[in-house]
Amino acid sequence: MTPWMASGLVYASGLALTAGSITLLYIVTRTFNFAVASMATFGFYVAYTGVAIYGGLPYQYYPLVFLFGSFLGIVCYYGLNRHLLYRQAAEITLMMSTLGYDLVLLSFIQMYADFLTHTYRLFPRRVTMNTYDFELFGERAAAIILPIIAIVFLTALHMFLTKTKFGVAMRATIENPILAGASGINSDKVYLVSWVISGGMASLGGAFMAMAMTGSPTMGMFTIPLMFAGAILGGLTSLYGGILGGFMIGMTEYAGVFYLSQQLGPWVLGYRMGIPLILMAVTLLFFPRGLAGIPLSKYLKSLSGKKRGDGV
Amino acid sequence: MSSEKMNGIKFDPREFFLRREVMVIIVILALLTFLYSSRGVNIILTIFIDFAVFAIITMSLNLETGYTGVPQFGRVAAVIIGAFAVGAIPGRIMAAMMGLPSGLEYASDTVNFRLVPEITALLTTSYLYSLLFLLGSLAIAAVCGAGIGWLISRPAIRLKEAYLGISLLAFGDFFMWVGHNWTGLVGGSVPVNVPDPFRIFGGMRFTIIVLVIFVIAFLVFLYLQKLTKSPFGRSLRMIRDNDVSAGAAGKNIVSVRTQSLVIGAAIAALGGGLYVLYVSSVASIGFTRLTFTFWPWAFMMLGGIGSNIGVLLGVFLLSILRTMIVIFRYQWFGFLTVFGIDPLWLEFTLLGAVIIIVILFMPHGLVPEKIEPMLPKSRVRRVLERRQLAKEGAK
Amino acid sequence: MLTVTNLNSGYGKLQVLYDLNIEVPGKGITVIVGPNGAGKTTLMSSIMGIARVTSGEIIYENIPIQGELTHNLAKKGISYVPQMGNVFAELSVMDNLNMAGFLMPRDEVKKKSEQMTEIFPVLKKFIHRDAGTLSGGERRMLAIAMGLMKNPKLMLLDELSTDLAPIIAEKVMMEVARLRDELGITILMVEQMAKRALEIGDNAYLMVSGEVRYSGKADDLLHEPELCSMYLGIKPDSGQIADVAKPSVEGSEE
Repeated sequence: MTPWMASGLVYASGLALTAGSITLLYIVTRTFNFAVASMATFGFYVAYTGVAIYGGLPYQYYPLVFLFGSFLGIVCYYGLNRHLLYRQAAEITLMMSTLGYDLVLLSFIQMYADFLTHTYRLFPRRVTMNTYDFELFGERAAAIILPIIAIVFLTALHMFLTKTKFGVAMRATIENPILAGASGINSDKVYLVSWVISGGMASLGGAFMAMAMTGSPTMGMFTIPLMFAGAILGGLTSLYGGILGGFMIGMTEYAGVFYLSQQLGPWVLGYRMGIPLILMAVTLLFFPRGLAGIPLSKYLKSLSGKKRGDGV
Repeated sequence: MSSEKMNGIKFDPREFFLRREVMVIIVILALLTFLYSSRGVNIILTIFIDFAVFAIITMSLNLETGYTGVPQFGRVAAVIIGAFAVGAIPGRIMAAMMGLPSGLEYASDTVNFRLVPEITALLTTSYLYSLLFLLGSLAIAAVCGAGIGWLISRPAIRLKEAYLGISLLAFGDFFMWVGHNWTGLVGGSVPVNVPDPFRIFGGMRFTIIVLVIFVIAFLVFLYLQKLTKSPFGRSLRMIRDNDVSAGAAGKNIVSVRTQSLVIGAAIAALGGGLYVLYVSSVASIGFTRLTFTFWPWAFMMLGGIGSNIGVLLGVFLLSILRTMIVIFRYQWFGFLTVFGIDPLWLEFTLLGAVIIIVILFMPHGLVPEKIEPMLPKSRVRRVLERRQLAKEGAK
Repeated sequence: MLTVTNLNSGYGKLQVLYDLNIEVPGKGITVIVGPNGAGKTTLMSSIMGIARVTSGEIIYENIPIQGELTHNLAKKGISYVPQMGNVFAELSVMDNLNMAGFLMPRDEVKKKSEQMTEIFPVLKKFIHRDAGTLSGGERRMLAIAMGLMKNPKLMLLDELSTDLAPIIAEKVMMEVARLRDELGITILMVEQMAKRALEIGDNAYLMVSGEVRYSGKADDLLHEPELCSMYLGIKPDSGQIADVAKPSVEGSEE
């Protein structure tokens, strides 16, 4: 593997999880979750705190990362989102509410970084998580382990959504909330579980991304347009589309920067985030429904079922 | 409601003081008095400048979001363009006219710090030069802003709701990165100085700036009040409330929305340009999504989406609170420093908390949008009187 | 069994129903007919806690249920077959039935869904196919089967016959009559096929513009020539009342 591919894989796996998190929450609750930014950053800080203070490998803290993200999701649901969903608030209001939550979390992250500096004499504002990694088959372990974790996690999620009763009930609620309610499915629980899963996914994604970039309190804030770009590229109609979209955004960024900087010179590095955004803009120009609007989605459909709201 | 009250003939002091606008103004005045007595006049002037600059930007946001229904999450883009235009263009024009280097090297810090004082020196020789420079800068900012507003509106305008918001956010960020990296424009991460048209006033500079920005903010306010009451403003609200029926009524939705985005971007760029002239340097790092998109959103939501007066009050109140956190952070939140935490971060907490509280408990803000008749008050009164007469006649 | 008194409800700021009074006696079919926009579907939504009830009472088995959450009503034994989107198109027929029995224990769901596939053999044939691929008639069958899964005491059927070919619609009506006669389920149905519905129904309400214009025996409404021709498009004295009580198992097959 070339160096850009290794980091690209790590980074893209992280983006795939965060974009999947945004998509999942959007198709269940119509909420565009801005707080994914801070949830991701918090995910990174949980892993960082673990390795920096208690030692070991970053990977062993991932369950904790997931749990913490879920906790943030639960707080947001009960504190904010639930009331607005019952009020049938507009999409923009839902989005703004998560933005408010995100900013509060961001301030907590900044304070936590101060706290780490002060109490443990760490440097939490410029962290290279790579230094805690080890080598596997002559590669950075992250480039192999993280995609595997992502695939295992997504397979588990897929099994949950197709094989368990509650997972099927979640899909039923996504497709037709009224009929699901009339069948006795408690939408409240469905929303809660979707917040739990998507919060955990966001945090896990943040912990992944920190293995490929410099970890800082604002890393979520700077990458959130890309997470959204991934979700939008995926078409916002299927979870798998979102995951694929995030992955593509991440890989394009790394591949594009690598080749363009070879062709045009290193100044391209500064504009790296422009590359995936151009990809998104071009895709939207030709396929306003994102990846789901490309015939490719026929293959996706066999994985995910049909578009939302299809049928009678 | 009796017709007497509607005509405003009878003045009820109790009702007057219980009106939300009045209550907010009283709170603002109380806070200002408190700040004045404890910190002196300079802090008040700083708040005024903050208020005026952000009022311009937030009113432009309110035009696009409140009146047109476009979730403008990329406000920072137009502000940046305004700021960069003022930072890059008028200075270069002056330099070219004076026979100084005006190409890409203008922005490099070794050249820039010698060039700009020379230009400023020329400006201080004459009030006319200063005035022309000020007006020219603002015109350039507005034109560039309008251009960028049009450019951004092209791919985005046909998208809907949250989709549109996210795309605008992404475009805003794109311009942010361009500013941070394109050193030839305004120096990238190194600040570029801007010739100062207010230097001519010497010690009065600060006061004059406050006055000028205030006057411009007031003009923008008047213009927007007029615009939103015009037939164009009616089309905007019609499209916001129901774009399908507006389309059916023969409104060209895309064109009306584009116009609104262009006007909004021009005004926001004006705000950005004024800010740069006030600071007299452009540091592209300072123009972040947080400061120039999310704060204006919080201002607007607190004040009341779709109400210009509300927006002004929201900006004022929140600017004061924000300044107070910065000033009194060690006094009030000193306990945080025990853990090594800088209380400055509470600014973000305040911003987030305001957004959350407004959404949960005051969805329409301090001064909710009023469903007003489109005619001036005097004519409404005349119509009502005529109707009253007709009714009595019928009896 | 279900009493609606002075119900005012609507969506958002729009009020649709004005002081509506409906009485659904147990073990019978109550038919609600009326022109488009009369608020029939809104009545159903109000009962199920989907539309916003501003005032009035809905009493089900002596307990007021207005403002109750939809899934709690399902627990109380009310099942609702909406007009649009009455099956989960993305799930298989099997999963649809499982979801309909969400509140029941696993073995009971299994027993019950076997019973359903016996009543509606067509479902057995397509048990692993996505519901979205079924034909209109098959979907209605599935929708009714889903409604029946949880042994309801009260069934709300919203415009079962819409989009169906006349012959199939006829068969669906037969099924409904049979549910009452054989399983003793109370049914409140809204129907566009007014004549056929009134023929199998016991009680009838005619709704116009959110208000009740007529209430009484279903047969009697059929003999009100003025109302029939004005609102229902039924020609006066056109038909005798058909013999509908004849159950037909074959009727559910294509």
